[in-house]
Order: sequence, then structure tokens, then C-alpha cells
Amino acid sequence: MAKTAAANTAVQTKHKKRKSFEALDWILLILLTAGLLAVLIPFLNVVAISFTSYKEYMQSTWVVWPKNPTLDAYKELFKDSRILIGYKTTLMYLLVGLPLNLILCVTLAYALSRKGWPGRKVILMLVLFTMIFNGGIVPMYLVMKSFNLTNTIWSVILAQGMNTFNMILIYNYFCSLPEALVESASLDGADEWTIMARIIVPLAKPILATVVLFVAVQLWNEYFMSMIFLRSKDFQSLQQVLRSIVMDSQVVDTASQTVDVGERNFTDAIKMAAVMATMVPVMCVYPFLQKYFAKGIMMGAIKS
Amino acid sequence: MTKTPNTKRPVTSAEAKGFQKIGINIRKHWQIYVLLIPALVWYLMFAYYPMAGLQLAFKTYKAKLGIWGSPWCGFQNYTAVFRDVAFWNSIKRTLFINFGRLIFTFPAPILLAIAFNELRVGRYKKVMQTVFTFPHFLSWVIVASVIQNLLSVDGLINSAISALGGTPINILGSEKAFQPLLYLSDIWKGAGYSSIIYLSAISGIDQDQYEAAEIDGASRWQRIIHITLPSILPTISVMFILTCGNLMTAGFDQIFNLSNAATKNVAEVLDMYIYRVTFQGSVDFGFSTAVALFRSVINMIFLLVADRTSKALGGGGLFG
Repeated sequence: MAKTAAANTAVQTKHKKRKSFEALDWILLILLTAGLLAVLIPFLNVVAISFTSYKEYMQSTWVVWPKNPTLDAYKELFKDSRILIGYKTTLMYLLVGLPLNLILCVTLAYALSRKGWPGRKVILMLVLFTMIFNGGIVPMYLVMKSFNLTNTIWSVILAQGMNTFNMILIYNYFCSLPEALVESASLDGADEWTIMARIIVPLAKPILATVVLFVAVQLWNEYFMSMIFLRSKDFQSLQQVLRSIVMDSQVVDTASQTVDVGERNFTDAIKMAAVMATMVPVMCVYPFLQKYFAKGIMMGAIKS
Repeated sequence: MTKTPNTKRPVTSAEAKGFQKIGINIRKHWQIYVLLIPALVWYLMFAYYPMAGLQLAFKTYKAKLGIWGSPWCGFQNYTAVFRDVAFWNSIKRTLFINFGRLIFTFPAPILLAIAFNELRVGRYKKVMQTVFTFPHFLSWVIVASVIQNLLSVDGLINSAISALGGTPINILGSEKAFQPLLYLSDIWKGAGYSSIIYLSAISGIDQDQYEAAEIDGASRWQRIIHITLPSILPTISVMFILTCGNLMTAGFDQIFNLSNAATKNVAEVLDMYIYRVTFQGSVDFGFSTAVALFRSVINMIFLLVADRTSKALGGGGLFG
């Protein structure tokens, strides 16, 4: 009986598949493939140009793939001290910013997920309020200035030290865990710190991984605050460096098309090598991101 | 107190008991308060203290006196702001661009999710999703660099045009092309990622509905219109709220990185205006804080109104 039923459904699905590949499917397939190419080709072009020698690029700017790929552009790029400053600054963001974000988010989320203490609702409201209203960049800049933090990486790290959205993700996850876990542990005499660190956090690994990846990407891409707070040449985030390499000479390029005022004339190959240097690390963590982010958004969507 | 002891005493004692209870509760949960400290310090210093700094909107900022010591000036900053033609133009531009986004950018991930759902080629679909989602994780600096490489005068598109015998077009330097460029780059970067949320809503739809509809002779098109779309309507409305809440924010990073000297006239949205008056040229923090406060308040109003509207329409709201 079971065998025939299984065979039956197999036949059915096979039949369904054959039947369903109609005009609509072809149209969708073609449209989505066109979209796929629209996303892929710009990237492939970046890769191609970054490996193209200056001489070849001068002969023809129409590069599908270089005839003689070289690493010259990359060598030139890393001769420039700015890209190293960028890497250093951004790595510091990650090294300090990631633990800071995790500690602040987890402690707050845990405290909020425990019920019965006076003031919980007020604090939750005050925290949520910052999601719909904030001071904006101008008071933030003045605050950083008054703390003497501008032109140090601490301004950016501290300003990015907490993210209410991520906190809510973790909070929702903590709330979804069975309360009996915490109760039995506290009956056994465990203090809150132990319960959080030994019981709750190990159970929340998936959401914590998601948040770590979110924060890592956010810090890696940090541009705006770095631009506002860091105004010296010794501290520049990677994105700032990328912009100064790629854009600053371009501004002139598109405006008048002839003049070049940049302190250094970067060839297109070096510019694209800089794009690659900033993009490849994101590509490397992307498989992990992909594994977790869908879960992350879903959990955020359930109750935010 | 002594006049009506009979009626007052029970109330006060109950109150006292209440306070005692709260006191006991606080002592019982002292460890939780300790855990709260780091995050609360952060919120005080980097969320609420800057918020308090918004008082500068009603002050004349003197660097020596700081935020708190600067003298009050009433609505003087606002009369100056409202007299500035560039301010009103930036608001008009922001709203115009964001309404454009609601029309062109907002439906893109919905259509993409529906298309994905209808597509019946398993493994290829996964590859596509991987590729479509990736640009979301790149910064606008990178995306703008990639776009510049593609569209600049000696970029791929123009090289192709000249190879085919046409004259190159300066897309990035054209004021007319700026808005379409924003919408297209929005879609290019974000549609794949945003579609995930709709895809998950679609995957939650009961498959029996489709089968029943199929038996009743509904075409695939009809099934999309009458089953898929209504089922994801709550999700659409929540996303719509989020988008409306940001009607006054036109994505500084994107516009800052995609604009250049040639397009600066059409690119000055409110955020760009705030950036210009704050960090370039003669600095008047009172003036720029006034603009920033105006923006924050309008944003909040938009968000709350959109939330109410969505609830009234039967969709889910943002706040419960």
C-alpha cells in the first residue's frame, strides 16, 4: 500500500512539473536571468578591470576579460599607505565594536526578558522610543566633541556600540525560550549572571551568530560617522579610503572631463583593485551571512 | 490627616505596602539592575544626551559655552531656516524622491518574491537568490564605485555604445538621469534582500488554498492575484509603514556617493542640506540642529500616522 502511494505521488509530482512549464515559466526564467546578469556583470567588470594592465586599458576600455591579467594594480594599491590605514581602522572597529555590541545587547535583552522587576516597562518604552526618534547627527557630533572623542576611533565605536534593532532580535529570542529553564536554575540558587552566561546565551547561539554577522557588516561598511567624526588623515575607515581613491578624482572627471586635481592620478585599474580589497572580505563571510540572516529577519519580523 | 482617619488610613497603608512591595522587588532583583547598567549608560550618553542636545535648535550656539551654556534665542533659528529657499527645495526634493521610491522601488521586491515563488527550477533558483541578495551587504561607497565603473564616460556601457558606433552618454553627470539612477540602484542593491521577507510570508500560505483553486479551474495568474497577494498583504502593509516612516530620510549614503559636482543641484535632499549647512562652509550649529529637529519630528509623525493608517486598514501595525 505504502509503496503504491509513494509511487502515485511521484507520478503526480512528475506530471505536475511537466504540466507547469508553460509560457509564464519561460517569461519568468528569461526576466530573472536578465536580472541575474544585471547584478553579475557589473561585478565581473570590476574584477576584469582590476586585473587589466594600464596599457591594455588605454588601447580599449571595452574589457570583457584582460588578455594578460596582471597584479600591478594591486601592488600599486598597497604601496599607498591610505589603504593600510583604512584596514587598521576598520579592523579596530571590529575588534572593539563587536564585543561591545554583544555585551550591551545581551545584558539589556536578558534583563528585559526577565519579568517582575519594577521599571521594566518604562525602560522598554525608553529603549523603543529611540527607534522612532533620535537626535540626529548634529547633536551627536557636538556630544562627541564635548567628550573629546572626535578624531579618535572611539567616537565611531561608541556611537555604533548598540543597535536597538539587534537588541530586540535577541530579546525576542530570549522571550521565546521556556521560562521554566530560568526558574529552575534560580531555585537551584544560580545568580542572574550565571543563568545568563551559562544557560541562556548557549541556547541563543543562532540569534547571536546572526547579530554578530549583522554588526560585523555594519561596522565593515561604516562610512557616515567616520566621515563626520574622523577628520584627520591618520584615522580613516576603509570605506572612507575607498571613496577618496575612487570618487574624489571622479568628481572632477565628470564635471569638466579634462582637469585632474587629485594628489595622485589613480588609474581605473587601481580604483577597481580598491573596490575588490573592500568587497572580497564581505564575499568571504557572505555564505555564513546567508545561512543566518534570513532567520534573523524572520525573527525580527515576528514581533517588532 | 487627623480629621478623617477612618477613610485615609487604609489607603495610605495600602500605598505604603505597595511601596514596600516595590522596594522588596527591587532588592530581590538587584542583579538585574546591575546587568542593566552598561546598556543604560550607553542609552543615556549616546541616545538621550544627544536628544537633549536638540535644545540647540532654540539656542545660539557658542563654542565656548557648549550646548548647555549657550543663550536661548527662541524661534530665531527657525525663522532663519524657514526663510532659506534651499531648505524648502531640499524638502521638496526629498519628498519627491521618496514618493518616487514608493512607486518604483517599493513594489520591486514584492514582484521579485512572487516571481521567485512561481519559478520552478530548483537549484538555479538558489543560485539566483544568492546573487540577488549579495549587493545588500555592500556599502554604498562600494556600490557607487561599481556603478561609476559601469556608467562613467569610459565605463562598460559607454565603451559598448562607442564600439557600436554611438556617442557616449554622460549618465552620471546628467541631472535628468539622477532620479532614475537612484531608483535603479536602490533596486539593484536592495530588492533581493527585501524580497526575503515577502518570500517567507508566501511560504507561510496554506498550500491547500492553491490546490482548491486549481481544482476550481483558477489560472496561475488568478491564483497569484487572489491567493498570493492577499495573503502577503499584512507584510506589505508593515513594510509600507516602515517606508513611509522614512519619507523625510532620502538615504544620505546613497545620494552622497552617487552625486557629484554636475548633479549637486538635483541631489540636495534634506540630509544633504543638513550635511552642507553643518559641516561645510560657515558653521552654525543652532541653525543645523533646528533643521535636524524639524526632520526628526516630521519623521516621527509620518511613522505614527502610517502606523495608525495601516491598523485602520486592517493590516498589522508597527507597535503591537
